[in-house]
Amino acid sequence: MTDLSFRAAEQQAPVVDEQRADDRASGRGAGSRRRFRIGAGEALAGAYLIAAVVAAVAPGLLSPVDPLAISPSQAFSPPSLADPAVTLLGTDESGRSILSRIIHGAGPSLLIGASATAIGLLLGAALGLFAGLSGRVVDFAVNRLLEVLFALPGLLLALFLIVIVGPGVVTTTLAVGLSTAPGYARIIRGQVLAIRRSGYIEAATVLGVSPVRRLIRHMLPNTAGPLLALGTLGLGQAIVWASALSYLGLGAVPPSPEWGAMLAAGRIYLTTAWWMSVMPGLAIVLTAMSATALGRGVQRRVRAL
Amino acid sequence: MTSPSASDLRPTAPRAGAVGRLGRPLLIGVGGGVFVLWAVATLTFVLVRLIPGDPAQAVLGGPGSQASAEALAAARAEYGLDQPILVQYLMQLGRIATLDFGTSYSLRTEVAPLLLSQLGGTLLLAVLALALAWVVALALALASTRGGRVGASLGSALEVVAAGLPQFWLATVLILVFSLGLGWFPPISVPGPIGLVLPVVTLALPLAGFLGQTIRESLLDALEAPFVLSARARGEGERGIRLRHAIRHAAVPGVALSGWAFGYLISGAVVVETIFARPGLGRTLLNAVTVRDVPVVIGVVMITALAYIVVTVVSDAATRLLDPRSAA
Amino acid sequence: MPLSSKPRTRARAIPLAFVATATATALLLTGCTGGSTAPSASGTPTAGGTLTYASGDGEPTCLDPHVGGNYPQALLGGQFLESLVSRDSSGEIIPWLASSWEVTDDGLSYTFTLRDGVSFTDGTPLDAEAVKANVAHVQDPDTGSSTGYLALQKVANVEALDATTVRFDLSAPDSALLESLSQPWVAIESPAGLERGIEANCEGPIGTGPFTVSEWIKQDRVILTRNDAYVSPPADAGHEGAAYLDEIVWRFIPDSASRYAALQAGEVDVIDNAQPDTIVAATEQSGLAELDAPRPGSVNRLELNSDKAPFDDERVREAFIRAADVNDGIQSLFFGTAQRSYSPLSSVETTAYSDESLFGTDLDEANSLLDAAGWTQRDSEGYRTKDGQRLSLQFPVSTNQSIPAEQSLFEQIQATVKDAGFEVVLQPLDLSSWYGALGANEYDVVSAPYTKVGPDVLRILYDSSGITPAPSGYFANHAQVNRPELDAILSQASATSDADERADLYKQAQKIVLEGYYILPLYDQQNHFLYRDRVQGLRAMPTVSTPTFYDVSLSE
Repeated sequence: MTDLSFRAAEQQAPVVDEQRADDRASGRGAGSRRRFRIGAGEALAGAYLIAAVVAAVAPGLLSPVDPLAISPSQAFSPPSLADPAVTLLGTDESGRSILSRIIHGAGPSLLIGASATAIGLLLGAALGLFAGLSGRVVDFAVNRLLEVLFALPGLLLALFLIVIVGPGVVTTTLAVGLSTAPGYARIIRGQVLAIRRSGYIEAATVLGVSPVRRLIRHMLPNTAGPLLALGTLGLGQAIVWASALSYLGLGAVPPSPEWGAMLAAGRIYLTTAWWMSVMPGLAIVLTAMSATALGRGVQRRVRAL
Repeated sequence: MTSPSASDLRPTAPRAGAVGRLGRPLLIGVGGGVFVLWAVATLTFVLVRLIPGDPAQAVLGGPGSQASAEALAAARAEYGLDQPILVQYLMQLGRIATLDFGTSYSLRTEVAPLLLSQLGGTLLLAVLALALAWVVALALALASTRGGRVGASLGSALEVVAAGLPQFWLATVLILVFSLGLGWFPPISVPGPIGLVLPVVTLALPLAGFLGQTIRESLLDALEAPFVLSARARGEGERGIRLRHAIRHAAVPGVALSGWAFGYLISGAVVVETIFARPGLGRTLLNAVTVRDVPVVIGVVMITALAYIVVTVVSDAATRLLDPRSAA
Repeated sequence: MPLSSKPRTRARAIPLAFVATATATALLLTGCTGGSTAPSASGTPTAGGTLTYASGDGEPTCLDPHVGGNYPQALLGGQFLESLVSRDSSGEIIPWLASSWEVTDDGLSYTFTLRDGVSFTDGTPLDAEAVKANVAHVQDPDTGSSTGYLALQKVANVEALDATTVRFDLSAPDSALLESLSQPWVAIESPAGLERGIEANCEGPIGTGPFTVSEWIKQDRVILTRNDAYVSPPADAGHEGAAYLDEIVWRFIPDSASRYAALQAGEVDVIDNAQPDTIVAATEQSGLAELDAPRPGSVNRLELNSDKAPFDDERVREAFIRAADVNDGIQSLFFGTAQRSYSPLSSVETTAYSDESLFGTDLDEANSLLDAAGWTQRDSEGYRTKDGQRLSLQFPVSTNQSIPAEQSLFEQIQATVKDAGFEVVLQPLDLSSWYGALGANEYDVVSAPYTKVGPDVLRILYDSSGITPAPSGYFANHAQVNRPELDAILSQASATSDADERADLYKQAQKIVLEGYYILPLYDQQNHFLYRDRVQGLRAMPTVSTPTFYDVSLSE
């Protein structure tokens, strides 16, 4: 039986030499002590994400200004230090503080990103494990199911769901989550198959070690990498796709300061007020980058275990 | 920790029997494809039945529909909406199998010919964007893997930024810089290749970010793989090694991603065709969603699924040629 | 102060002979030759060339404006179809395909004499039977006409007296009939073309206009070619005979930023739906000019649903209007391109009546009105409550119909009325869901401007019969104004043939609408066109403000 895609990826899944992975992780064999040192990049990424999470949980702590307070006379103010709480990152078309809106927008934005990624990961992991651990018939069936999900790309699925249940953030999140699930599932299934083929499970059983423990012990280091890479990218991606729906007029509800909606709304003022879209865009990209940097760090350490 | 033997990791040259080797998997691939099409058709049937209210009304524009009683009756007859649900289902399967997606109430035309006329433009856009994304991703991966860890981090950062660029925003920036600033390319679609440049770049850059991430991982693996070491030992130049061995090895997971990338490009086409005013499936879909033209939406979903299957069967074949191990 | 008494400098309000001069001095300051004098005075403008028009409106699904009947169809249809009469910039009805007409004293019978020697582009002569066939087509339920159907609602019978004389018999007097007939939605098409059936006719309606539809590439463009045999310009046109342009390429560019970029890059010559910030940028940039042509009929306004709580209480409606601070927002969001309105009618209409005093922002007044109406409690978020119910308003917004600046203005209204304790729930919806919300009466505030020539639009929008949805599901009286005395005034205005009496009745009707706080007028329906200065002689039709390319020539 053949799969329609990802076949090669899963069969040559990176069941790599432990030493080699270790070397790469620690900067090409430059000493294993560097393994757990926290680099400057990771520290910055961590700080940014912590700030984002704090903003999401308690935006009032970071921003003293109401993100919905309008002031038409202050509309389109460029970034300046004149009145930092309001104008540090500029103001939008209604004179609202973009800084404050980004801080208050962290909650809804991260919620969209995290929920979509969680839906994708959970569904993907469930399907992947199920397919990998079951017999050929189930595997075949699950694979066809994944094909169906693959055949309905993210935005297409979102638009289709909008036709069924109408526009909204929930529709968007669900669609983005569903469309990322098959990618995760394929990776996990590939790993499970590779480990099953390796004979380790049988050996472990003979040795009296729990097969599940064995599976996790071998799967985690190799799956964690690609999964984290996909998941961390997916976090930013979900926000970006949600913003595409805002652009198409089918997204977040105003005046909620969701980053994607801000980016979409600011785009038409790109020539006159670039900060309106660049600032929330930076927030999204920095989130994705920080998550990726941390994800890689975790991946390195997991591999080194 | 298990480790595949060196011979496992080395992609061998395509053998003389490559084409023959593709025959059987191709057949199975087509069979699987038919299954997927059936499943997608079934899914759309079920989901459309979930639309609240009168299904005849749903076909004619949903809650805001201003359909006349005659139009509703005609729709009921056309889709057999007064028949038992199983008959309706079989009718729909029969229609889809014969590429009959019904009539668009908003465009007053048969859906299938309309979509087929829009398909070409979107496919051209997608194929060119996929090609460009590959070139950019490979170039980025090759350049950044030369620079060791710093290079890799830098490359990775670039890719994350690229992958995180919303297309509608990127398109506007490209228009500002290359159309209005430099005057190199038109800001909207015009006949001829020059009109394709900005739409293709808009679609390709974020995708290159994704592909680059995948390729770098396997390129790093490949560059440290024994077959590369032995090639180095044989005295092959680094350039030759990269081009001949490593890229081919590294390309495998990327090629396998083609099916996914295709879906990404179709999604992107909705945005890009709108911004650059290009005719195509994406724009048709968006218009249809806005007026709840269900037959058109179903048609786009089915055609996309069909195109996806063709792309994956082809990329599957390409994977086999690149990496014979997968034929095992 | 009524808007209509303000001095106007807009091009649309000026007869064509002055347009080129006015445009040249006001807008085309950058030494363009030929533009300094009117086309008629500077000899023959250069004939030939292809003009590219970029529309931001949705692509019509049918090019025949009889079918359905929306503004995009009027924009396109106006280039190849013509109506029986037209309207000049002073609001007077002027001859077009009908050279003259007579009305009986009881107002129940209109006899039109058709222009001689006019043929449709398929060779069919324009005669009385053709007019009769067109009215029948609009009134045929299978055609699915909504705008044209409403315009001809009182036409009971059409009689072809001889080849060039046709009589319209009405079921009731309709003082708005000529205004209605000037609209592109009841343009006259070739009867042979109509007989092809709706599908075929939608692809390329055949008219008498200066251009013909030669090709429609769906989802992309429509190609219009010059009608060399053209003989029937309206009485206020700038020249006679065929148009100057060889061809018009009509493109659909939904994205406003791309559309403006395409104009700047010279890919297109004219764009519609120009965004406020780009209008300002364009007028500062050499080589670009603006045509501001507010649409007739209603203004853009918020309609407050008086059918259900909380807006069934007039005090709550007044409180909302007193609390909403819109002037600063209009100024900053529209960059001075939109004038605040205090009338139900467009400033284009000479019968428009304004009362600014009703719309002064006064938060204290709003608060005391709400207190008096029983909304005395406040919940933890600062919103007023009554009997445990929050003072919450559903506001569905059609993202297809409101430009971004307008949507931002709605957000500002949301923010300002919050100070009085109103919660406004903005719901951005696609067109279909939006119609659905209106049909289900699930709205308290809505913005849905209506374009029609003349003050008769008041009858469509505020007569109580407009509350009951038509069989099609559509209804126009979104404020659900149900006032018998208003219905009576509107019927009287329809029946009277005396212009002054009619104007006075419409003034009374507007007073009732304004003083009942059913609407919050914002500004005229914005209709800004930007064009490259090689485009000479562009003007908007004084009927529904669509641009006409008949007099247009290219100066290069």
